[in-house]
This record gives sequence, structure tokens and C-alpha cells, in this order.
Amino acid sequence: MHKKTILTSLIALMVLVTACGGQGGGSLPIIGGAQHVTVDVVYGSEKTEWLEPLIKLYNGQNNKTASGKIIDVKGNAMGSIESVEQIIAGTIKPTVWSPASSIYIPVANAEWRKANSADLVTGKPNDLVLSPVVIAMWKSMAEALGWPGKPIGWADIGTFAGSGKAWDAYGHPEWGTFKFGHTHPGFSNSGVAAILAMAYAAAGKQRNLSVADVNDPKVHDFMSQVESGIVHYGASTGFFGDRMFERGPSYLSAAVLYENLVVAQENKRLTGASSQPPVVAIYPKEGTFYANHPYVVLDAPWVTAEQKEAAKAFEAFLLAKPQQESALQLGFRPADPAVALAAPLDANHGVDIAQPKTLLDVPPVDAIEATQAQWRTTKKPVDVVLVLDISGSMQGAKIASAKASLKQFLDRLEGIDRVQFMIFNSQISMVSELSQLSDKRDELKSRIDGIVEGGDTSLYDAALQAYTDLLHKGDPKRIRSVVFLTDGQDTSSTHTLKDVVSEINRSAGEGASSIKLFTIAYGSDADKSILTQLAEPTGGREYDSGPQNVNAIYSDIATFF
Amino acid sequence: MTSNRRILFAAIVAVAIIVVVLVTLSRTLNIIPVEPVTVQVLYSTEKEGWLGEVGPAFEATRPQINGKPVKLALKKMGSQELVQAVLDGTEKPALISPASSLQVTLLQSEWAKHSPKPIVDGKNANSCRPTLYTPLTLVMWRERSDVLWGANPGGDTWKKLHDALANPKGWEAYGKPDWGSYVRFGHTDPTQSNSGLQTLVLLAYDYFGKTNGLTASDVQTNPAFQKWLLDIERNVPTFGSSTGDYMKEMVAYGPAKYDIVAVYESVAIEQAPNATSRYGDLRVIYPPTTTMSDHPFCVVSADWVTPEQASAAKLFADYLLTKPVQQIAFGKYGYRPLDKSIPLDGSDSPFKRLSNLGFKANLPAEVDTPPADTIASLLNFWQTNAKK
Repeated sequence: MHKKTILTSLIALMVLVTACGGQGGGSLPIIGGAQHVTVDVVYGSEKTEWLEPLIKLYNGQNNKTASGKIIDVKGNAMGSIESVEQIIAGTIKPTVWSPASSIYIPVANAEWRKANSADLVTGKPNDLVLSPVVIAMWKSMAEALGWPGKPIGWADIGTFAGSGKAWDAYGHPEWGTFKFGHTHPGFSNSGVAAILAMAYAAAGKQRNLSVADVNDPKVHDFMSQVESGIVHYGASTGFFGDRMFERGPSYLSAAVLYENLVVAQENKRLTGASSQPPVVAIYPKEGTFYANHPYVVLDAPWVTAEQKEAAKAFEAFLLAKPQQESALQLGFRPADPAVALAAPLDANHGVDIAQPKTLLDVPPVDAIEATQAQWRTTKKPVDVVLVLDISGSMQGAKIASAKASLKQFLDRLEGIDRVQFMIFNSQISMVSELSQLSDKRDELKSRIDGIVEGGDTSLYDAALQAYTDLLHKGDPKRIRSVVFLTDGQDTSSTHTLKDVVSEINRSAGEGASSIKLFTIAYGSDADKSILTQLAEPTGGREYDSGPQNVNAIYSDIATFF
Repeated sequence: MTSNRRILFAAIVAVAIIVVVLVTLSRTLNIIPVEPVTVQVLYSTEKEGWLGEVGPAFEATRPQINGKPVKLALKKMGSQELVQAVLDGTEKPALISPASSLQVTLLQSEWAKHSPKPIVDGKNANSCRPTLYTPLTLVMWRERSDVLWGANPGGDTWKKLHDALANPKGWEAYGKPDWGSYVRFGHTDPTQSNSGLQTLVLLAYDYFGKTNGLTASDVQTNPAFQKWLLDIERNVPTFGSSTGDYMKEMVAYGPAKYDIVAVYESVAIEQAPNATSRYGDLRVIYPPTTTMSDHPFCVVSADWVTPEQASAAKLFADYLLTKPVQQIAFGKYGYRPLDKSIPLDGSDSPFKRLSNLGFKANLPAEVDTPPADTIASLLNFWQTNAKK
């Protein structure tokens, strides 16, 4: 009877289910376990404040592709040019690339084609948001130069920087020297825009910049003039803006930035979040470029058709009115022409939407590359002291990685740059005195190879010596830095941390022209707090590191030069 | 039966009941829907605003073919690009709408080269219907137009444009050096977009002082004309790939990017309020002769289009000719309606509300559409000598 009951119920169940199935082919609804498709977006860091909240918002909306997969967007902020180099090298494989501007796209395609048969960027990517490249300057300084009545441009910057004069020539001795900055054109879009604008200005043109134009001596001379006023470079425009606005007029007089960064800073000032004086955007009279933030869905072998569909859906979201309006609030000019330009894009926030009056044409690939090459011969040279901890704990992979990274770091310097190399344990040893790299590049590399670790850690003594060496032997007209790597704490110095910090404070040069200390805390035993205390007052910074990322750290420091 | 067996039996029956209930409910509540008839619509970009509004409105009327709901899949492209995509098979639409019957003619003649069965028929109202009209115009920022040509720019537009572009001093010659070292004029790439092609046609007709009978020989054997044309073309900073997007760029970036562009009257009308709220007023300048785009909607006849899709496509094309939809196209998006019962000077007329920017209902004379070989010769010349 037991078996009969179960059998009966099973038959009843089967009949019921079959009967349902026969009524027109329905199927049971799926419960749970939906699939996802990921859209990786690599983008220029000046869009972070706009994009990151929107990525969160979008992900929370459960958006789906046509086949029902849930779309997950992941954002990764990076310098515009660095990002495409990593894409080409294959170290990152994003779905979407959104650099600050389209300037570098033809160069990226040319590089990509060296190993691939088609372009990396095809079609015409849409602009997300717009922001002109400007010279951001403290308002009182701009006024001293004649702004706004007198149009100011690269010619004025070049003349001032190359004149050897300081702000006292304009009635303001309290401002010191003219200190200028732009990002490194090998890493960052605004740096490329800056050197192209200089080349155009020197050539007296606004379009059709040619290799012949760039190689004309007057371009070299003009660029050298402007670059003589530079205090340091940097990997990204956002970083540069942060620097300038955190440290005030005594650090930098002006920098090449985007209009939206000026608006953001003035917003902070007006709401009391920053106590700096007002800053304004100068639109160079010779013409400028726009950062147009293109949204590039990559035509790469690692991007699937479904990812492309999902990427396009996210793009439509970014281009929709509410998202474009939020861009306006952050100081961007929305790419959607239906969004009016209103506050905070106004004089209260240091900008003028009636500017720029004219744009420069993006030159062809060969002219861009020629300009970057020309820049390397005119850029501010470097005096750098490299200091390496060789105490016993540095053994094995640690010292091996550090040595390898140091050698690669040397390759980022020009022949004309001067390098001093010191190692320390309980003693400090001078491996190579401050002298030109062109005389000793290979020799220095083999010396680095020959280093053997062992002993204690005289951290403060080494830091102090490196700093004072540069103070006495370095050239204040160069970018002067100490790059200091240690894996531990001080165990054997005669000087204290206080000694080092007070020496730095006593002899600090002016603003951003001062000697910068970059400290690398190598591994978990390194004292990050002390290393930060050494770096911060000089305008440098501290990095946390280990053997796996020390190369990236040295690369980042190299963008400063 | 023991109580255990009773419980087991009850559980099995309960599961069976739940299953039945779920399936019935899901079907009743349409959680498992009927397959729609999807119409892929490939259209020229300037219609994006209008179709973006009336497309969903059409779907909201719950159109059906054989009990199946009709859905639209709208995709925008430059007019010439659109034709090329259909020819090389990268797009398989059921309904196409380039800016002009010119592209329909080109599509038909190219398609005929490898297939005896026509893909569309420009002369058959069941296949293709013109829907809207718009002339080609020049559009400039008013502040700059005032300086260049004064408040009332008269005739000889193209010749004056040529002279402004060819002047080596650029804006300095007009007392405004900071506006740029050259006057920035633009139009779309004529190999990708209809308005760019129309610009070349108008330039050519104007040079030869005629409104019909432009020949391939005119284009190919007259060096003075060729130089005159290249004087203009070589001064264009960037050729856009489609008209709607090009106009949007002009307004998004402001006067620094383009001083003057050749685009459809409709896109200028659509963007005029945006221009004013961003940078300043536009001014439209009607050239001495113009050419019209008639925005045909053509139901595609090909093996990738099912009879249901073709019927659904026709349903949508019919809808676009209804008065309210034509009214929206005119009042809001600046297209001259096909429906002649809609007055051009009514209360919602853009010619009324934007008359201060130069927009007007009266049109200059139209030029004849040149024959295919003349167009081919113009495009060839341009592609060889002017394309970037």
C-alpha cells in the first residue's frame, strides 16, 4: 500500500505538470542566479568626482543587456597617456577608455598598429563632458600681469619665465619668483596640450603644425624659456591642481590645468572648504585645446560583443540630461548642447564662458611626437640624489626588486640630468657623486648590480646627508630631489628625526622650487609615519611599497621630473 | 496509510498545485510575453530628436501586426554611411531614412549592380515616402556674422565665404585678431553625409552661375573652379561624419570651434535656443540658391526583412505622416512638413519665434539635383584633394 500511494501521487504530479506544459509551451520562471557582464572603464583622473558617483548609481539600478545580463561598471582612474600605454602593452584590458581628450588617439592608434592589423579606436567616439585647457593663476598675480584687460598667453609666460625677473618687477616682492608647472607630456594630456600650444605659439600658427615647424630653433628657444620657469612636472592634471590649491601662492604662481579644476577650487573657497585666495582661469590668447573626454569603446580582441552593448548602455546613461547637469555643477561644460551654461561656470568662480575665442588644431602624429622629443631637450633638468637602504633586512627579493627598479628609473632621466647615488646601513657610502648621467649611465647601473646588503639602519643620518649634499652641490635652477628607499626604522643614526626636519625647514628653498624628498616605505617594517614627516614638509610625498610595486612607485616619482 | 505516508502524499500534491498555480499566473500576468515584431530603423542623425520623441509615442499607441506588438530599434548614422552599411551588409534594417532621396537613388543604383531585385523603390509610394523637407543653409554665430558681413548679409554668399576663408590674415583683417588666424568654416564629409554633398553641389552651381545642367566635365576640366573649391575645402578644420552631430558640436563647443557651418535649416532651428543659452545667438544665412532634403522613409525589401517586419515598418512610416507628428516635426524640430495643411506661419512656427535670427518661410530658388555621374565626379575630386 505504501508503494501504491507514492506511485499514485507521482503519477498525479506528472499528469498535472504535463497538462500545464501542453497549454501553449510555457515554462517555469527562473528564480535567482542571474548572469552579469562587466564594463571596465579606464578614465582620466580629473573626471573622478563626476564619474565615480555615477558608476555607483548606475550599478544600483540593475540595468541589463538585451539577453538579460546585469551590467556591472567598474572605474579605474589613471593619467590619460599612461593608460593607453598600458592598454597597448597589455598590462590592462579595459572595455572603455576615456582619456581627457582626443589629442592622443591618433598616436595611440599608430602605436597599436605596430602589433595589430586594425585600429584600437574606430569610428567617432562621443564626448562626455568638455573643459578648455587653461593657465590657472592666482587672481592677484593675473591682475599684476594685466588680466583681464590685457589678453595673456604663452608669450607672456615665456617672457616672464625667461627674463630672470621675479614678481618684484610687478610690484610684489612678497611673491618671490615666478613658479610655473604643467604635467609631464609623456603621461598626461594637459602636458601634451601645453607643449603643443607652446610650439604653435612659437611658430606663430594655429593649425597645420609640422615636424619642420617643431624643429625650428625658435620653437626650441621659446620652449626653453617657458620651461625655465617650471618647478616640477607630474603624472596627472588632477594631482597638479591638488598641489597648487593645497599649498597656495607661495608654492606655484600658475599651472596648466583644466577649467573645471579652477571651478572646483573656487567652489571650495566660496563654501569655506579652502582658505586660499581666489584663482582664475587664463585662456591663452594664442588659442588653446579642449579636453573633450571622449568615451572610447575599445575595438580590442578582449572586448566581447555583449560588453560593447553594455558599454553603450552606460554611455547613454552618462549622456542623459541628469548626468550632464551634474557635470555642470562640477565645473564641466556638458557635451549635451541642450544643457545651458550657468553657475558655477561664471566669473564668481574665476572662469569666462565667452572664452576661449579660438582653438588650436590637433597636429598629425609625427608633429606630436616631434614636439615631445623637442620638449625633452628643453625641459628643466634634474639634480637627484638616490638613497638606498642596504641594511641586512633588505635581503633576497627585496633588494633585487629595488635594484631593478632603480635601473629603470635611471632610464627615465635625460643625459643632462645629474644623479648622486648613496647607500646606507649603519654607515653611509657614496657610490656616485652628483654628476651628469650621460657620463656614467652604464657604470652606475653596474654599480647598482654590485651592491650587497647587510648591517644596521642609519636612516636619519643618510637622509640628512642626502639633503645637505643637494643643498650645497645642487643647482637651484634644476628640479632638485632626494629619492629615499628604506625597509626599516632608524637603529643607528647620530642625528634625530627632529634634526633632519629642522634642517629642511631652515633651508627650504622657495615654494615648489625647494628640494623635494620622496620617501619609499619598503615593506611593513618601514616606519611610514616618520617617512611621511620627512617628505611632506618638502612638498614631496611618501609611498608605501613592496617588491611587487616598487617599479610603479619609481615610475610615478619619475613623472615629477 | 500511516501518518508519514499521508504527510508525504499531501506534500507531493501541494507541490503539484503550486506548480500549476505559478505557471497559470505567469501566463495570465504576461510575465512570459509574446514575441514582438521589431523594426530596425536606420536613420540620419539630425532626426534623432524628432524620432526619439515620436518613436516611443508610436509604440504607446500599441501598434500590432497579427496580434504581436510592434517595437522600434532606432539607430542613427550619417546618410551616405547608412547607404554604405546596407550595401556591405553591416546593417540589416527594415526601414531606412537617409536625409534625401539622393541617397535612395545611390542605394538603388549600387544595389542593382549585384542584385536584380530592388531593395527599395524611390518612385513607389508603397516603398518610399518623403516625410519632411529642409533646405541647406549657412549658420553662423551672430556676433561674428555681424563683424564679418554686417547685420544684413546679402547675396553672393559663397563668393564672400571664399574670400573670407582665403584671406591669410583671418579675423585680424576684420579687427578681431583674437578670434583666430583664420575664419573657421565647416561642413560634413560628403562621402559620409548628405549635407556635405549638398554643400559641394551648391558651391559648384554657384561658381558656374547656374541652377541646372551641372556636368562632370564642369567639375573635371575647369582648373579655376577646382582651385576655388579647394581654397574653401582646405580651410575646413574637421569634416563631420553626420549633420545632426556636427551641429550639436558647434553649439556644445562654442564660437572657438566653428565660426560658420553649412547644415540643414532644421538642425539650426533645433539648436538655436541651446546656442543662445550657452554662448550667444546664431544667425542663419540662406544661400542664393538652395537644395532640399526630403527625408524619405523606405521600407526595405530584402531577405533579412520578414513580411511582418515590412508591414510593421509601413505602419510606422504611415504614422510619421499623420498631422500631430508632422506638427511636432515642424513646431519643435524645424522641419518643413509634408502635410501642406500645416501653415508655415502658425502660432508654433519656428519662422515666427526665431525670425530675429534670420529664419524665414520663404525660400530661395532650388537647384536641380545633378545626375549621378556629376555627383560621382564631385565626390571623386573631393576625396582625392580635400579629404583629411
